Amino acid sequence: MPAKVALKRNPKKNPLGRVFSGNIGALAVGLKYFFDPNRITLLYPHEYIKLRQGYRGYIILIQEKCISCSSCARICPARAMKMLSVKVFDKRLKKEMVKKFPVINYNRCIFCGYCVDVCPTEALYHVPYHDLVYMNMQDMILSLEDFQKEPEDVTAKEGLPIKYIFDEKKGLVKVKYEEEKKEVVQPQQSQQQKENPQSKQVDKGGVS
Amino acid sequence: MNVWYLIYRVIIDDIIFYPPIYQFLIIPGLIAALIVALIIIWFERKAAAFVQMRYGPREIAPKIGGAIQLVADLTRYALQEIIIPETVDVLPYLLSPIIMIILALLPLEAVPITSIRTYYPIPPDYSLLIAVALSTLSPLFIIIMSWASNNKFAVVGGVRESFIITAYELIAVLGFLSVAAMTQSFNLVQIVNLQMSGKWFGLLNPIALLVVFIAVLMSTSGFPFEIPDSESELVAGPYTEYTGLLYGLNMGGAYIKRWVFSILITIVFLGGWAPYRPTPGIITGYFIPSLIISIKALIVMAIMSFLRSVYGRYRVDQALGIAWEILIPLTLVAFGLGLAEAYFGII
Repeated sequence: MPAKVALKRNPKKNPLGRVFSGNIGALAVGLKYFFDPNRITLLYPHEYIKLRQGYRGYIILIQEKCISCSSCARICPARAMKMLSVKVFDKRLKKEMVKKFPVINYNRCIFCGYCVDVCPTEALYHVPYHDLVYMNMQDMILSLEDFQKEPEDVTAKEGLPIKYIFDEKKGLVKVKYEEEKKEVVQPQQSQQQKENPQSKQVDKGGVS
Repeated sequence: MNVWYLIYRVIIDDIIFYPPIYQFLIIPGLIAALIVALIIIWFERKAAAFVQMRYGPREIAPKIGGAIQLVADLTRYALQEIIIPETVDVLPYLLSPIIMIILALLPLEAVPITSIRTYYPIPPDYSLLIAVALSTLSPLFIIIMSWASNNKFAVVGGVRESFIITAYELIAVLGFLSVAAMTQSFNLVQIVNLQMSGKWFGLLNPIALLVVFIAVLMSTSGFPFEIPDSESELVAGPYTEYTGLLYGLNMGGAYIKRWVFSILITIVFLGGWAPYRPTPGIITGYFIPSLIISIKALIVMAIMSFLRSVYGRYRVDQALGIAWEILIPLTLVAFGLGLAEAYFGII
């Protein structure tokens, strides 16, 4: 037997109660917000949301770490990644040879982050911003050199960093972002050396 | 020197402060109404934005909160091409917005805004009746406008307008006349003089004030009740085929109508120039009372436009139901209350 749904007593049952509770309640809420406004619109070019390190933004390749396993190109659901044959000088074998490296086509990329997750040597990582403009579609197919550079974060130059927090009384509130953790700023070098495969799996679970 | 002084006196006394011109064109009239429309539209957008957690107009002059945004919009309306469709009836199509604005301002000619005898625009003996009667003329031209546009949306909007007008003009007129029942006179100067002691008729007869307030909002298609030109159903109601400056006139026409009604509300219910007693002289007897009335009416309009952010829009049948089932009985109650207060001598 399904549980009985407890109905709330409706104060708006008789017409007089409807008039008073409805109108005066609405006016009170309106006046409250009029005198104490909580404005959460993001004024985009003047402000921008400061995103955390886990955000799936643009993808960058570290070529020294890449072992040419093609896992990223194989797992890519949108087929945005392709392996490109490049002549490189191998330091360990000390001779020139042809190796394959991933390049990306941002026309197709859906920023799912599977390639970053699957990479066994962490040669790929995300940058925590996503607002970039390309002038034409040809530019969105990156070459190997472009794929290694971090793109310029243009909005961070002009706008104020903003974050949204939950206040107990007001709900969602827009506040100014302040740098509180300094380890987050340089994550790649220090973290990747310490990490072992187990902790990486934990990270994956957290993200997905 | 003497000639220049004479010309100056003629310009000041006989042209600018000649009561019909001054009241129709300058302080409660056209120029003040345009300034008020600029302020009120800005306030309306800003208040709605505050309540709905937004910023409102901001990008033009962010330091003063985008207050001159409306000037930019007005410039755009003025410079836009006026497109006249082939199917419209051209003469009524062009003339009706202009006549509507003129007729909307006409009640101001009947309203005395000071108690000095030389500054009455017309003899004030029946001024309340005349002002209320003149205020019911301009909605006819919205209906003409919608018929001349020869457009489905415009005609549906015009039909809605006629429904709303027949319901709500009646309430507004009866609500204003309940004050006449209290004071046994249609003389607006006498009505204001009776309120000089601080017993404003809005406090003595709050039901009438409430009813008139709602009726004015509804009949000027103020925001919670903008049923004739509802954007989501009819494109712009009776104004669908209008572009450029003519559309700007229509937009401003609703605000001008509401401004005239709020001046009437101020004089009848909120004491007119009440705390101030006019003394002879142009500035003290005519200019200052008109400013006091304008400021009070501006506050009334600000309250009206604040309601935009709180209420949702009513359907036609809901609005008409409120009118005929609730507000007309309430108006009769207000009329009876006025009669009872007159009988027991509370005034």
